Parts: sequence; C-alpha cells; structure tokens
Amino acid sequence: MELRALYRRRRALFWSKVLPYLPYVLQSGVAVLLLILSIAFAAWYTAFLRDLPPDLPIRWIMLLLLGPLTVHAGFRTYLQPADILFLLPQESKMNSYLTPAFRNGLIYKVPGLVIILLLLWPLYQRSTGVFHPLWLMLLVLVLLKALSTYGAWQELRIASLRARTGYRLLRWCFLLLLVAAWIWQPAWKSALFMLLLSLNYVLLLRFPLKHKVPWEHLIALERSGAARAMLVLGWFVEVPADGQKVVRRRYLSAVGNRLPWNPAEAYRYLLIKTFTRSELLGIVVRLTLLGMVLTGWNDQSWLGAALYLLFVFLIGTQLASLRQTHQDSPAASYYPLPAGARKAAVLRLATGLLLGIAVLLWLPMIVLPGGDPALTFGSLAGGLLLAWGMHSTWAHKWREEDDE
Amino acid sequence: MSELPVLQVDDLSGGYSVGRPVLHDVAFDVQPGEMVGLIGLNGAGKSTTMKHILGLMTPHQGEIRISGQTRNDQPEQYQSSLAFVPESPLLYEELTVREHLEFAARAYNVDPEAYRERSERLLKLFHMEEKADSLSMHLSKGMKQKVMIMCAFVARPPLYVIDEPFLGLDPLGIRSLLDFMQEMKQNGSSILLSSHILSTIEHYCDRFIVLHRGKVLAQGTLAELGEHIHTPGAGLEQIFYDLVKDGE
Repeated sequence: MELRALYRRRRALFWSKVLPYLPYVLQSGVAVLLLILSIAFAAWYTAFLRDLPPDLPIRWIMLLLLGPLTVHAGFRTYLQPADILFLLPQESKMNSYLTPAFRNGLIYKVPGLVIILLLLWPLYQRSTGVFHPLWLMLLVLVLLKALSTYGAWQELRIASLRARTGYRLLRWCFLLLLVAAWIWQPAWKSALFMLLLSLNYVLLLRFPLKHKVPWEHLIALERSGAARAMLVLGWFVEVPADGQKVVRRRYLSAVGNRLPWNPAEAYRYLLIKTFTRSELLGIVVRLTLLGMVLTGWNDQSWLGAALYLLFVFLIGTQLASLRQTHQDSPAASYYPLPAGARKAAVLRLATGLLLGIAVLLWLPMIVLPGGDPALTFGSLAGGLLLAWGMHSTWAHKWREEDDE
Repeated sequence: MSELPVLQVDDLSGGYSVGRPVLHDVAFDVQPGEMVGLIGLNGAGKSTTMKHILGLMTPHQGEIRISGQTRNDQPEQYQSSLAFVPESPLLYEELTVREHLEFAARAYNVDPEAYRERSERLLKLFHMEEKADSLSMHLSKGMKQKVMIMCAFVARPPLYVIDEPFLGLDPLGIRSLLDFMQEMKQNGSSILLSSHILSTIEHYCDRFIVLHRGKVLAQGTLAELGEHIHTPGAGLEQIFYDLVKDGE
C-alpha cells in the first residue's frame, strides 16, 4: 500500500473509534458544566475588561498564555509496533508517511493559538507601548509555531536522549525569547532578532546525530498520544479499556481487602480493586467535589436542589459504566464465579457508591447556615429516591440485556 | 488408578462453526494423580480441545466430564474442579500479583489461611516475592506467565489444564514449574499439559495423547507409543515425528 494512503487510513481508523463517542460527550454532564463555566467566564471577563486594574501586566499575561501555546508541539504518527518489521524496509520512502503527520501536528494546533489570541486581544488593545496589528501578530505567532514544530520534529530524530532533552530545553528558551521580543519590541527590531536567532537555531539543529526515522521513539510516543486522547474522552464517557489509564493509588490498596471470603464476593473484590485504580474514580471524585461546591453555593434556593439532583444523576450515569468493566475479558470465564455474581457485584457497588455520594453532595446544604429545612431535607429525600430509581432501572435493563 | 477418571472426554467433535469441526471424535481420559501430555503440531486442535474442556466452546457432539459430571449437570462444581493456565497470560492490569492470587483464592473458595501459606510459598518458588505488590501491567511476559501459573496452583483443584506453560519462562521458572507439577501429581492432582518442548515433557508426563488434524493419532505411555510405531525404546520426538509423518 502507498505510504501516504496508509497514514490516511490509520488516521481515519483512529477517528472512527473516537467519533462515535462525541454525541455522548455532548450529552455528558461535564460538557454542560464546561458550557456553564464558559458562560460564567465570559460574564466575568466582560466585567473585568470594563474595569481593568491600571497596573495590570498585560504583556506578561500574553507571554504566559501565548508563549507555551506557541512553543508546544506534538505529533500523531499512528505508527504501530509491527511497523518495525513491515515498514522498516521502506524507510527511505517514509517521508511520504511522516510528512502529513508533521503538517497535521502544526495545522491542528493553530486554532487553539488563534482562540487564545482573540481572547487576549481586547486586553492587548488596552495596553500601552508597542502595538502590532492583529493579522501581523497572528502571522508571526504561526510562523514561530511552525519553527517550534520543525524543531520538535528534528528533536524526535536525535539519537541521544541527553541531546534530545538539551535541544528541547533550547527550543523552549529560544522560542519564548522570540515571543517575548515580539510582544515587547517594535516590529522591525524583533523581526531582525527573530531572523538571526531562528537561523542560528536551525543551524544548531544540524549538529546532533540523528536517526533517519526514530522508529522506537515514534512508536512509544504514538502509544502515549493515543492513550492520552482516549483518556480525555474518558473524562466524558466510558471508552474501551485499552485506552484507559491505570492509576496505582497506593493509599487505596487496602480497599476491598475485608470483603467476605467466598466465591460470590470474589467478583466484587476484583471490581472494587479495578474501580480504585480507574480513571472513573477520578471522574466521580471531581464531579462530587464540583457538585458539593455548586450545591453549597446555591443551598438557599431551588437552584441548589436542582443542581443537587443533577449531580446525583450525572454521577449515577458515570457509575453505570462499571457494567462494562472486564465485561469482554476472557480471564473471568476461567474462574469459577457463581452465575449472576458479576451483575450482582456491579449493581451493589454502583448503588452503594451512589447512595453514599448522594449523602456527600447533600452535606453542604445541611452544614452551611441559612437553608430552608424543608428544601434541605426534601432534596436529600429526592436524591436518595433518584439513586434508588437508577438502581431499579439498571437492574431491569441489565436483566433484559442478559436475557437477550 | 481410580476407576473414575478426573477428566473424561468422549467422542468429542467441535470447532468454531458447526459445518466445519476442528475436532473429530476425540476421546481420552486423565486419571487421578496422572500427568498427561497433549502434543500436536500448530493447529492440531490442542487449544480447541482445552477450550471445550473449560466450557468456552460447546461440543457439536460428545461429552466432557470432570469427576463424573458434565458442565451442564453442575456448572459451578465443574468449573471449580479445574484451573486453566492459558498460552498467553491474561491478567487484570489493575490488580497486583498478590491481588491476582487472592482473587483466584476467593473464586475457588480457598481457605484464607491456606491461601496465605500457598501464596507465600508460590511467590518464593517462582522468585516473585519482590514483584508481589507490582501491578501486572508492569511485569514482563515471563512474569505474567508465572502469575497465571501461580493463580492456578493457589486454587488446588483436582485438575489442571495447562497450555504451553514454558513459553517465556526463564530456566529457573521452568524447573520450578516442573517440580511443582510433580508435587501436585504426587498429592493426587491431575494435569493435562500441552507443550511443544517434547524433550522436557517426555520425562515428566505419564502418558501422551498425539493429536493431529483434530484426531487422536495415538495415546499411551512412552513405551506403548514406541511399540505403536514399532520402535520400542524410541524417544518422544522420534515417536511424534513418525506418527505425524504417517498421519499426513
């Protein structure tokens, strides 16, 4: 197969795995929360712009936000371990495979830079001193980003780990210096400075010993890049386990050890251990904390009660994904687990957690003074009822799925 | 030998699709305290036979009994009467080595005190003490294989079904496994073992079943198989080579 077509096919394959989850992401509670936070930020930022503190270090803020965004570079090559065997013989032609990876590494990072620049623009307009027009500012930042992307690409090829680290540090220093020069200095001066420094940087990149194609490094980077993409997706929806990160969490090692010792509880032991080391636990904890803050903030109104019920529901939806844990693992069929033990364990753990979290989410309403007792206790009753209702729905739905 | 075999396979035919069976009338048994080697070329049907024994595949025809009972008669008792070690280690990434052993012990209803004693001994025997609290995802392939083996041995069921256990094991691991299998055998456990390392299993197995293209070509002790190919005293490799060559 032609290498460029192979890259395109692999890229399409990756996105065909990710895209089906996007509707769920949009439906997920975290997406709604992000929207709410965006609206809140917009309101705050508008008010902030209207009444700017006179000594606000605008240019430093720009450097702090635009600098890392300009320098950051990353690539998705979709290379696989087997490529060392099958594509290595075509190494001399690998440019046609890797060029799109390099190009996409630049193109798909530009929108983020543009958005932040546009957000900062009203601030920049209120600053004193050197002022560049928006189109020129954008052009220069994109050119600097292209230079950084080129540098990062060359770094990948450097054979020595120490040299690679050194050049990475050098790139960050050079590029941050160039961004700073552009923000503070007049256009002609900083353009000259940028030209001289860039030429030197590109020349410096020629010195270290490089692989033609750094196969093992690229494959390792691709693996972590793919896992990271699935991890981000995992914040919103349940994704297949191969994309899931296992977090050791040593402080939770003892959780589950005191379960009754019999085959009926064995799967619950496995499930609890898995949950304590899953990303799902992180998601549930974050949602619980956020829910507690928002519920406590609005504890004197119906909005607080509504938010409380919303969070019980959102967390319940996340916990339902425990059903998928180890569902496709053949290992479980090697162990003599009693019939129905898996479903019972998931139902028990998800329900127990949800009931506990329903109480936790409610605590700020009772602890903070000034709430209406009827609303406070009514909310708790509603939350516990909702949790139990979700339990019944799961039991019914999963029984039907098992019967099919 | 006891009259009731631990494992009895009768006229087993089966495979991945009904019209195209992989196994054809396979029949053999494994007696208590016996170690039986299941040998054959790649694709001969060894793993398919084992999957049928485990209950992962349903026979098209024939019956499999463990301690006299089929999987349909007593599914839980059937399953808890055997432990399986697959060719490729299948572990839970989220569990440590010790937690895998505990999960297996819980599933097989091993007494907690016995679990502790057995797990400590196995960890020491397979030189895995230092890795006991490591997540399985951080282990090498050989170490993962050791965990699978330890999980089977912590359970102590009457029958072990072990598929290519030596792959990835270091020489010490292989020796530990062979010695431990001997010990289990002497304690009355039965082992059905598949391996391509004929020179090793020749000295450890009591009997051999030669599977070729889904059929049992021959079975018996080394001496019986030697007589079968009219070469008394022949080694297992020679016997296997002659049988398979004739079976082509």
